[in-house]
Amino acid sequence: MLLDFNRLGGLRVALSAIAFLVGAFLLLPIVVIVLLSFGSSRYLQFPPPAWTLRWYEELFDNPDWLASFATSFEIAVVVAVAATLLGLMASFGLARGRFPGKEALRALFLTPMVMPVVVLAVALYAFFLRLQLNGTFVGFVIAHTIIALPFAIISISNALEGFDKSIEDAAVLCGASPLEAKLRVTLPAIRSGLFGAAIFSFLASWDEVVVAIFMASPDLQTLPVRIFSTLQQDLSPVIAAVSSILVALTVLLMAVAAIFRRGKPA
Amino acid sequence: MTTMTLTREAAVRAPRRMAGFWPTSPALMLLTVFFVAPVLGLLLRSVLEPQPGLQNYVEVFGSTTYLRVFVNTFVVATIVTVVTLMLAFPVAWFLAVAPRRWASLLFAVILLSMWTNLLTRTYAWMVLLQRTGIINKTLMGWGLIASPLPLINNLTGVTVGMTYIMLPFMVLPLQSTIRSLDPATFRAASLCGANRLQVFTRVFLPLAVPGIGAGVLMVFVMSLGYFVTPALLGGTSNMMLAELIAQLVQSLLNWGLAGAAALILLVVSLGIYAVQFRFFGFKAAGEVE
Amino acid sequence: MTRPFLSIRNIEKTYGRVVAVQDVSLDIAQGEFVTFLGPSGSGKSTTLYAIAGFLQPTRGDVLLGGKSLLSVPSNKRNIGMVFQRYTLFPHLSVADNVAFPLRVRRQPKAEIDAKVAAMLKLVRLETMADRMPAQMSGGQQQRVALARALAYDPPILLMDEPLSALDKKLREEIQIEIKRIHNETGVTILYVTHDQEEALRLSDRIALFNAGRIEQLGTGHDLYEKPASRFVAGFIGNSNFLHGKLSRSDRSITLPDGTAIQGVALDKVGPGQGDVSIMIRPDHFRLHNGEAAPRLVGTVTDTTYLGEYTQLTVLTAWGGALSVRLPPDDRASPVEKGQSIALTCAPLDVRAF
Ligand SMILES: Nc1ncnc2c1ncn2[C@@H]1O[C@H](COP(=O)(O)OP(=O)(O)O)[C@@H](O)[C@H]1O
Ligand SMILES: [Mg+2]
Repeated sequence: MLLDFNRLGGLRVALSAIAFLVGAFLLLPIVVIVLLSFGSSRYLQFPPPAWTLRWYEELFDNPDWLASFATSFEIAVVVAVAATLLGLMASFGLARGRFPGKEALRALFLTPMVMPVVVLAVALYAFFLRLQLNGTFVGFVIAHTIIALPFAIISISNALEGFDKSIEDAAVLCGASPLEAKLRVTLPAIRSGLFGAAIFSFLASWDEVVVAIFMASPDLQTLPVRIFSTLQQDLSPVIAAVSSILVALTVLLMAVAAIFRRGKPA
Repeated sequence: MTTMTLTREAAVRAPRRMAGFWPTSPALMLLTVFFVAPVLGLLLRSVLEPQPGLQNYVEVFGSTTYLRVFVNTFVVATIVTVVTLMLAFPVAWFLAVAPRRWASLLFAVILLSMWTNLLTRTYAWMVLLQRTGIINKTLMGWGLIASPLPLINNLTGVTVGMTYIMLPFMVLPLQSTIRSLDPATFRAASLCGANRLQVFTRVFLPLAVPGIGAGVLMVFVMSLGYFVTPALLGGTSNMMLAELIAQLVQSLLNWGLAGAAALILLVVSLGIYAVQFRFFGFKAAGEVE
Repeated sequence: MTRPFLSIRNIEKTYGRVVAVQDVSLDIAQGEFVTFLGPSGSGKSTTLYAIAGFLQPTRGDVLLGGKSLLSVPSNKRNIGMVFQRYTLFPHLSVADNVAFPLRVRRQPKAEIDAKVAAMLKLVRLETMADRMPAQMSGGQQQRVALARALAYDPPILLMDEPLSALDKKLREEIQIEIKRIHNETGVTILYVTHDQEEALRLSDRIALFNAGRIEQLGTGHDLYEKPASRFVAGFIGNSNFLHGKLSRSDRSITLPDGTAIQGVALDKVGPGQGDVSIMIRPDHFRLHNGEAAPRLVGTVTDTTYLGEYTQLTVLTAWGGALSVRLPPDDRASPVEKGQSIALTCAPLDVRAF
């Protein structure tokens, strides 16, 4: 009865009310920011006195913001590819291998996800000072790949564990070499896991702030770094415009994911 | 014939001990060089700089300034965890039992907030909570308060901002646990004579413990080491550990102390995860979605 | 026998201390249908996997046409296999699944198309060429797997409990299909099952596995009528096991109630005498007609009329329960519960172990 919505009685009202309020709490800031990005007030008055596209114009006229968009995107794409490839290989080892220390290795691979990012950020910052990798594209890619790798491994491992190895064996017996069997049978069969790995890795890099704050140089700033440093000065409405674009991208991504999920055979 | 068999056996046997290991080696190499080595390096500096010894730890544990940071970190993490659990439990319950349409709508809102850029969300709360922000303006407009409430750069601001960010991480494990409960258990309990409250406290809550445990530990540990939101929404008087580490490195260049603080944060965080691993298994500890 | 086509020689496979298969040897002629029958864990799959090349035997050899297969990798062995679990490639249509082995062999498109059509016709799924595996029933999927495994004309087809996930009716239907396909293609089949009825229905010969060894190899008739061990007798068909005392001097066995049976088949008993275990099939009993020996007396405690025969439970004088199946002609005077009954059987049908 506690699990039957229609028989909850008064609890039903209470649960619904809390759910509604929490939903509003989660949605409110996002809606307000999107509205403010079209508002004319520099001081983010709400409701906006008038509507304008001024902040978007300011954003698109500023080469620094555009450069940060491009930088973030390029890094995230490279990270998505790198983390997915490394994660794919590692997942094969973890799912199929039989060697001592396998569980310890799995724990090591997942550690960057559960440890406080600030420790990783400070440690890598010190290390990169010596290698002169701070503020470089390669440095960002390395740091973000480490952060993204656990997400890629989890996504691909789940898919791989749900895949019956006998199917790959069948392909080998059909005459395919072990590599060919993996390329032509196993990879297509776990493609949703690979797709998930790429998306999660992309987002892990695209949204990453902490490591980036330490590593960024004036010439190479990812989008989150530029937002962070701008925020420390003032709450410019240009950030509302940037934020709205990011929200729009998130919605787009969720829609794509939803379509992808629906299109997948059950 | 015998020798042939033996040679073949030897050839097959030798690599078997590490069978299937090599595909993990590129990732292992990356992590060894750019993760394990730098982190160990940082931790080592805590006992090597400025000179070898434990003086950094003496300083960290001895000074009231740093002790205040520790206390504050635990207080904030605890408050955020408790508030998040209070809000997340009914929401997770709702998600598990409500009509599909409403549940998926709320689910979409949760995912949207979770996938929205972290700084976007923090920025939004800065705008909402500031002195001249929407919340203060609205409350004053309704005549509920005479002068703006201090909502930002203090504990209130951090709590609101962090709760907002942590909610999904509490709701998701909880709702999957509640969803997996078998209604027949509940029917059996009430047939045994338990009333609603007893069914809740004696059956529902105990069965939901794995989800609650997973969510609470994850949120608590994440809050302990959180950097961005406290840095932007918190005040100077309630600095948290991650900010302290950043400040020690960026402004004070005190690597030894930073290493010591990092070690403490790392030991506490991974220690809590190790406990979770013991009690709830690997799956719960590694769950993201 | 002519020169064996497939020869399994003293295969042994151990996993650490666990002995999965020990000293399994078997020669199979071209076109033969041989079944590995045995309880779960008896080493059937392990032997099959050694032939397929998925595992390297610890000892022994597998020869095909006189040449050792062991150094040939699985994908070069040219062996067909249908697995217990459904192993169709989930992202490929039925036709593409069947075409897969031909594509990896880089055959010309026209040939592939023709072969795929022929194979789908063979398993009677012509109309499903464009279906995806997820849209098919388990039975259909296994038929596609069969078509895929036969598409490259392998000299041997291995089948590892291919029907065990299907329900009884469907299983019998596909058994008939397999038998037909075996006749049409003449392929040599090695089939694994733990279902004795399936084994008896399909096979030319059966290798009965127990604890990693072949307990007996022979036709279904051999296994049923001349079981080589108590295990075989118990595994194939129903049997009554009784205790008896063997006397070597007059080659007779005495049951606990004093009934003596003369002329029992003693080839499976050791040289000594004394306590032995004897086996009588339920359908080898007849009503005693007044002259033949032996004469075994008991009380009927249960009768079930089953059309083709009547199933009786008979309580013997020493308190043992016998399962007895009487054919229709012995039913003339209906046997009733509680009635005393005298039974007999041909001494050669009584087996001692
Ligand atoms: N990889 C393995 N490691 C250890 N023991 C195994 C392994 N594979 C099979 N075995 C053991 O070998 C024996 C035979 O297994 P199998 O050939 O699969 O039996 P069957 O197919 O007759 O059911 C079983 O006792 C099983 O536990
Ligand atoms: Mg088996």
